[in-house]
Amino acid sequence: MAEFVDLESQDGVRMPWNVLPGTKQESTNCVVPVSAIYTPLKPFPNMPVLPYSPLRCRTCRSVLNPFSIVDFMAKIWICPFCFQRNHFPPHYASISDDNLPAELFPQYTTIEYESPSENSSVPPVFMFVVDTCIIEEEMAFLKSALSQAVDLLPDTSLVGLITFGTYVHVHELGFGQIPKAHVFKGSKDISKDQLLEHMSFFVKKPKPTTGVIAGARDGLSAESISRFLVPASECEFALNSVLEELQKDPWAVPADQRATRCTSTALSVAASLLGACVPGSGARIMAFVGGPSTEGPGAIVSKILSEPIRSHKDLDKDSAPHYHKAVKFYDGLSKQLVHQGHVLDLFAGALDQVGVAELKIAVERTGGLVVLAESFGHSVFKDSLKHVFQSSDYDLGLSTNGIFEINCSKDIKVQGIIGPCASLEKKGPLCSETVVGQGSSSAWKMCGLDKATSLCLIFEIAKKDSSDAISQSASNQFYFQFLTYYQHSSGQMRLRATTLSRRYIAGPGSIQDLIAGFDQEAAAVVMARLVSFKMETEAEFDPIRWLDKSLIQICSRFGDYQKDSPSSFSLSPRLSIFPQFMFHLRRSQFVQVFNNSPDETAYFRMILNRENVANSVVMIQPSLISYSFHSAPEPVLLDVAAIAADRILLLDSYFTVVVFHGATIAQWRNAGYHNQPEHEVFAQLLRAPRDDADAIIKERFPVPRLVICDQHGSQARFLLAKLNPSATYSSDASPRPGGDIIFTDDVSFEVFLDHLQRLAVQ
Amino acid sequence: MAAPVPPGAPRPGFNPPPPPNYNPSFQRNPDSLADNMQNLHINRLHSMPNSAPTRPPPPFGQSPSPFPPSATPSSAFPGVAPVSQHGPSPGALARPMMPPSGPPQTTLPPNVAPGRPSGPPGAQPSPFASRPHPGSLSSSMAGPVVPPSGSPPAPPPGAFPSSGFSSGPLVPPPFGARPGAFGSSPLTTGSVVPPSSAPGTMSNGPPVFASGALAGGPYFPSAGSLQQPPVGPPSTMMSTRGPTQALSMRSFIGSAPASAPLGPPGQPAPPFSAAPQGIPPPPGSPYGSQAWPMQPRQVAPPPQIPGSVQPPRMFGMPPPHLPNQSMAAIPPAMGQTGTPMAGPSKIDPNQIPRPVPSSTVILHETRQGNQANPPPPATSEYIVRDTGNCSPRYMRCTINQIPCTVDLLTTSGMQLALLVQPLAIPHPSEEPIQIVDFGESGPVRCSRCKGYINPFMKFIDQGRRFICNLCGFTDETPRDYHCNLGPDGRRRDADERPELCRGTVEFVATKEYMVRDPMPAVFFFLIDVSMNALQTGATAAACSAISQVIADLPEGPRTMVGIATFDSTIHFYNLKRALQQPLMLIVPDVQDVYTPLQTDVIVQLSECRQHLDLLLENIPTMFQNNRTAESAFGAAIKAAFLAMKSTGGKLLVFQSVLPSVGIGALSAREAEGRTNISAGEKEAHKLLQPADKTLKTMAIEFAEYQVCVDIFITTQTYVDIASISVIPRTTGGQVYYYYPFSALSDPAKLYNDLRWNVTRPQGFEAVMRVRCSQGLQVQEYSGNFCKRIPTDVDLPGIDCDKTIMVSLKHDDKLQDGSECSFQCALLYTTVYGQRRIRVTTLSLPCTSMLSNLFRSADLDTQFACFLKQVASEIPSSPLLQVREQVTNLCINILHSYRKFCATVSSSGQLILPEALKLLPLYNLALTKSTGLRTDGRIDDRSFWINYVSSLSTPSAIPLVYPRMIAIHDLNSKEGDGSLIPPVIPLSSEHLSDEGVYLLENGEDGLIYIGNSTDPDILRQLFGISAVDEIPTQFVLQQYDNPLSKKLNDVVNEIRRQRCSYLRLKLCKKGDSSGMLFLSYMVEDKTPSGVSYVEFLVHIHRQIQSKMP
Repeated sequence: MAEFVDLESQDGVRMPWNVLPGTKQESTNCVVPVSAIYTPLKPFPNMPVLPYSPLRCRTCRSVLNPFSIVDFMAKIWICPFCFQRNHFPPHYASISDDNLPAELFPQYTTIEYESPSENSSVPPVFMFVVDTCIIEEEMAFLKSALSQAVDLLPDTSLVGLITFGTYVHVHELGFGQIPKAHVFKGSKDISKDQLLEHMSFFVKKPKPTTGVIAGARDGLSAESISRFLVPASECEFALNSVLEELQKDPWAVPADQRATRCTSTALSVAASLLGACVPGSGARIMAFVGGPSTEGPGAIVSKILSEPIRSHKDLDKDSAPHYHKAVKFYDGLSKQLVHQGHVLDLFAGALDQVGVAELKIAVERTGGLVVLAESFGHSVFKDSLKHVFQSSDYDLGLSTNGIFEINCSKDIKVQGIIGPCASLEKKGPLCSETVVGQGSSSAWKMCGLDKATSLCLIFEIAKKDSSDAISQSASNQFYFQFLTYYQHSSGQMRLRATTLSRRYIAGPGSIQDLIAGFDQEAAAVVMARLVSFKMETEAEFDPIRWLDKSLIQICSRFGDYQKDSPSSFSLSPRLSIFPQFMFHLRRSQFVQVFNNSPDETAYFRMILNRENVANSVVMIQPSLISYSFHSAPEPVLLDVAAIAADRILLLDSYFTVVVFHGATIAQWRNAGYHNQPEHEVFAQLLRAPRDDADAIIKERFPVPRLVICDQHGSQARFLLAKLNPSATYSSDASPRPGGDIIFTDDVSFEVFLDHLQRLAVQ
Repeated sequence: MAAPVPPGAPRPGFNPPPPPNYNPSFQRNPDSLADNMQNLHINRLHSMPNSAPTRPPPPFGQSPSPFPPSATPSSAFPGVAPVSQHGPSPGALARPMMPPSGPPQTTLPPNVAPGRPSGPPGAQPSPFASRPHPGSLSSSMAGPVVPPSGSPPAPPPGAFPSSGFSSGPLVPPPFGARPGAFGSSPLTTGSVVPPSSAPGTMSNGPPVFASGALAGGPYFPSAGSLQQPPVGPPSTMMSTRGPTQALSMRSFIGSAPASAPLGPPGQPAPPFSAAPQGIPPPPGSPYGSQAWPMQPRQVAPPPQIPGSVQPPRMFGMPPPHLPNQSMAAIPPAMGQTGTPMAGPSKIDPNQIPRPVPSSTVILHETRQGNQANPPPPATSEYIVRDTGNCSPRYMRCTINQIPCTVDLLTTSGMQLALLVQPLAIPHPSEEPIQIVDFGESGPVRCSRCKGYINPFMKFIDQGRRFICNLCGFTDETPRDYHCNLGPDGRRRDADERPELCRGTVEFVATKEYMVRDPMPAVFFFLIDVSMNALQTGATAAACSAISQVIADLPEGPRTMVGIATFDSTIHFYNLKRALQQPLMLIVPDVQDVYTPLQTDVIVQLSECRQHLDLLLENIPTMFQNNRTAESAFGAAIKAAFLAMKSTGGKLLVFQSVLPSVGIGALSAREAEGRTNISAGEKEAHKLLQPADKTLKTMAIEFAEYQVCVDIFITTQTYVDIASISVIPRTTGGQVYYYYPFSALSDPAKLYNDLRWNVTRPQGFEAVMRVRCSQGLQVQEYSGNFCKRIPTDVDLPGIDCDKTIMVSLKHDDKLQDGSECSFQCALLYTTVYGQRRIRVTTLSLPCTSMLSNLFRSADLDTQFACFLKQVASEIPSSPLLQVREQVTNLCINILHSYRKFCATVSSSGQLILPEALKLLPLYNLALTKSTGLRTDGRIDDRSFWINYVSSLSTPSAIPLVYPRMIAIHDLNSKEGDGSLIPPVIPLSSEHLSDEGVYLLENGEDGLIYIGNSTDPDILRQLFGISAVDEIPTQFVLQQYDNPLSKKLNDVVNEIRRQRCSYLRLKLCKKGDSSGMLFLSYMVEDKTPSGVSYVEFLVHIHRQIQSKMP
């Protein structure tokens, strides 16, 4: 598996099949689709940034890359995708075998261009959209978090503020004399045109009659823009004073009703305002929402308290009256934002649902960040927000306004991308008829992207049959080129080009080659994204059945067995952990949604859809590390058997980090041994998992929830829920002393495997 | 201003000083009023220089200090530069008044002198025991009251007219030529039917005496010891002169007594002994100077003139108008009628009836000898003693006797209507309205018609039951209200119970009268900050006015304020104290408005004073660079309304441009009408109707939630007042119009108007109903209110200036000799949050004699009603038709009189009933007034129509027949009894090229400067050296010379009288301003109408043609 990680560290790409099935039929048989998980902005310390524009193929517009065949004499290069012969331009005149430009170096398959001509650095824009329908205590938390965030903003960045409750207040931070806010009715959606009119943007000049009304180019004066978007260095006082005096929404809320909260209108106003002021340049709407939206087109629930907020069950039965309307609204909003190139970030701080499920579409399509915490005072929120702005080793490297394009060899088509992006509907021969995720395009908009953003590209092998001519052909290589234009956090526009080559194989006897190129982690992640996607989009979809079927198919195709003899079944090491991943995926929050609210599910899936393979695997199958006196910290099986009285367990399920003290350890700790100098070792033992947990928390976004618990304690459920129930209340064998059992009827991994073997060999 | 102690103290007889029962707002009236009015005239201080020496002690010693020498008023208030020039430091003015309130006497002068329009507070002395000459005054008070009851005054009226006709031309009275003048004219002004009862018909008697005495009264102190000696003479004079002179005058002109006060103070008999005393007669008898010049000439020209030391100016004028010449011009006109008219029937333009205002104070008892006493003219000054009927200030009827049948009324050509001004300001010397608290049971009412207990309810059956004077139903007396009857059939406690002996009382309302707790006093200011408003200075003026007025709002936790501004969007301000600064909240959606906050937009005044000050100071600069020319007026008031909806209150809007966007947007209809002339001509009056129903619908909703809207229009352009005014009219508010707005001269008026608006006596969430006796019923109410059910009018706001006309109709026959009652009940909330019912009852005799109707006609009231009717007709009828209606009314009445009542047989004579003798003049003036002229701007006409709709009776006459006085020779009137010089008829013949004239109609004041005016006078009055330098924008300033001082005194006096800060404008002969001035010369022949004489001829002809 290490070689796949190496590959990833060169190009940021993980593919389930690193040797591709050569024909359509073969690829179908492989069950796990030909796909790639690509992290466009993965930082590479050694990657050069070229200070000039890339050289492009005349026909397919792909960028010169190490796989191009170069004729140094004729000063010609041949595009590996379309085989077009291209002349080098004059400034490449000195090119020769020993004088290569960086983009032709074989190790620089991933390289960045930063063209000086486009070096118009636009400051980043942050539009804070703040909920005021929250209790005073939460308000205080939120205020302090926000003012902290404002302090961290780069001085040049432009800041705007919108608060909302019953009404939407757009604060005019650039108005020096007194605090000033424009107030919009929450129940009424306002179009951009209306907004332009209401905000008197064109009071001095006639409004352009046609075309997109946008920014300074359409005659919007800098003066009128600077009313609402002010450099952080100038507005700190104004912003802080507004924040300081920010009060709970003053409209009285009857005891039997929810607060009137017009989240959707506020977001719409924010989007329109940014669309009017800074279209096309990177801007983020950062929404801080403290409860369910009850007013406006994106309401998720009525104001009557007796009406509960929709659950998964309601969604399944299609009995959530507001859901479709709200989703439709946010779909429209996402289109607007994508069109403008702006990002929607969502920070939810509420015990209740706030409508993440409905907002998901807008956040995900724009590549926004999402944080779901139970309170604005919770560290999950506070530290995550800090993480967004803090510049440190773990900063997010927030970039904006990206466009992702793809080129590949002609026998490959793209079905789509599952991940935080939006299709630009740029149709071409590359596009497959079958659409998965954001498809029907060879270009995608990534309004917001960061170092971690990872796309899952689903391909389709178009080659009909394995004609000998092709299988015999010299290269047997497929080429992929991923191009990402984006506005770097420094403000410059950059282009990152990643060019890949993968061997394909077809015909009998190819199975071993395919197995050799199988990346089971990547495969598990692709399956996870796929199953999530299908659950959201396909009606009557049975995820368990689909996963089981897929697994059985893979096992029967790639397993080693004699027919109808389960005991003879074995899997290659390349595949051996895959069933385990599937077992945990079946039990995970992505599939077992009924334990969670729709908001939580949406949240988990949004994170899954943006994280790289390593992190996604943790979400699917948490890691478990055991700390004890007997040995150094070691990973242990994610099994209830790992629990022991004298152990400390550290569970990392990505969203939650659990430090679990065995019963004995807990007793010792309660007795205070670790405070006694003679028990320094115990203190170290106690500290070790905490330190490791802190390390995890520090580098992760969103910040996970840290749970510290003891065996038999109530919080222990966070651990137990993730463990393989090898020992349950109904199992025959009583647990070994100090161990534990899980009260569940779920099948254990062993039972699962038994069934798998039995079915695979049929 | 909150220290009204002195008035309370001197009146211990009525109410103990701690007035639990007092209606605070009314208790304060005189005083707060006084203070308010002080601020109406800037140089108030100087209005009393005369009295300064005589009252050395504190009041004047103190007051000067706050007001540095008038020459530098602005220096004291640098912050408010524009305002300080005219109404400088109104705020400052008010405050200085407070300290002296400690020693009661010190405040007296300020209260007394300015307290009430027209200086002669003669009646005050008696209540104020501390006055210098109580003795002489009270005796003089007593004097006037007696004579009317005596018979002597009565006969002459009857006797004189007859003699007047015949003997007039030949034997002019020796002392005053006026009677003679009438005699010589073909007009008969005398009432023909001899009055049957002595006191009943001619109550002018008392005023004569009163004025004589009173005019002297107040001035005695001022004259000081130097003038003491003359004190004696007046009293003797009264007794001797009274019967002879005053009575003879009275018979001809109702207001004749005016001549009595002419005498300068301390020189009681100038009219008679002017020459001997060495005082020039013309100035000594100012009224005479206008009316008389002819007579001396006609009869015995020289005798008096040579005696006069200073004849030139006034006498220089008449010669061209020698009777013979002017007569010569008339006959042809008369001749056309075909009527044989001989020499004596020539019309002398100087002798035709003209209003002669009286500056004397009339004492009026509403009932005497258990009979209704006809009230003095509304335009005169009078002091009322409520002896059963309500004071005519609150309610007056067009005819003081009620015709028994509808036929009788129709025959008379007159109309029967009441003018109700329920919160009118009483004279400071009048007894305050008494508050009656019936406890939890509430006031006693008739169980059938719900009429309130009043002095005319008849108790029977030993007081166990009472008969309602309104519906005739007999009710059981509530047990705890029972009282035995005396031998006279009255309840024994009648005199102790105000509700049984007073025409006006106020009941404390019980819970039953409240649908919610009484609302707080909410004042919401809405200011236009669009580009035009800012550039013209209107915004700054509004902000400055508001910030000064804040100090005058009622104190206490019940006073709430809010503020918002608007251009194409609406800007609210969160005034909550916790905020460091007010937060501006902009409502941009002007199609679908809302209030941005539920609370905190309107907050207690005490909590937000600082915020308000800061904000008002900042608003003009904040919007300095505003380039928004659009105005969302309709949306803004709607939004403000939504903010006020939960409480109701007053919404004061300052608006500068035509509402162009949002709800209720309007178009420049006027301009459209101009471009499309054919349509414009045909339907010209359509422009005077509201453009659409949007604003009306809004206004009705406002009224429903008790929001009263006042609009201050400070504009340079057309704003479609016809449409906008619907809102104030429906909500009980009013429109103020400043066109063209001048940042130099108008802020002072704006401030004073606003101040008066919020400080005048007023009530909120009011409901009014008028009930009348069986046989009559209310036909219609008209005025500024909202009517949702036929019987009641809803008044979100009602104040002392608002008058409601109630037209009545017969539904049955009334019995001759019986009395007919009218009761107006106004349920309202005071600014201090008390719920009150003000009940005003008037009982008038019924008559079946047509002549009684004519004799008891109340011209001022009739005309006011007619004015209102005409105004409401204008928007819906072609102008010609309306004008014709005006003329016809006059013809019909006079014809009826001629036909049924006049005994004079000569058909060549135009006979006018005495009471209505000015009707032709007023009607002529009406046809020439702004509202009925075609050449006026649409907005001017709309404003006029709107202004009329709530106009009070006393203000109605001056509106159409303004008062004109000469001001160039004010100095020469030294020693005159009245501050205001004699009135000049509105005819350009009376304008001299050398003169400077002031004309005022209660709203505007025009100063006309002749072309050849002495530069010295110009310099003294206006600080300019030549006629060419006359500025277009004028600010009255006081220069350091007596003439200027006088002018200021005069203007201030007028402001006091009118409760209005005049909009002063200089007019120069020859340019448009001069034309404007001349358009007020209603007696002239103008493009828009005939001259007075021609009009009379026309009427005469019409009447003759109707006669068989």
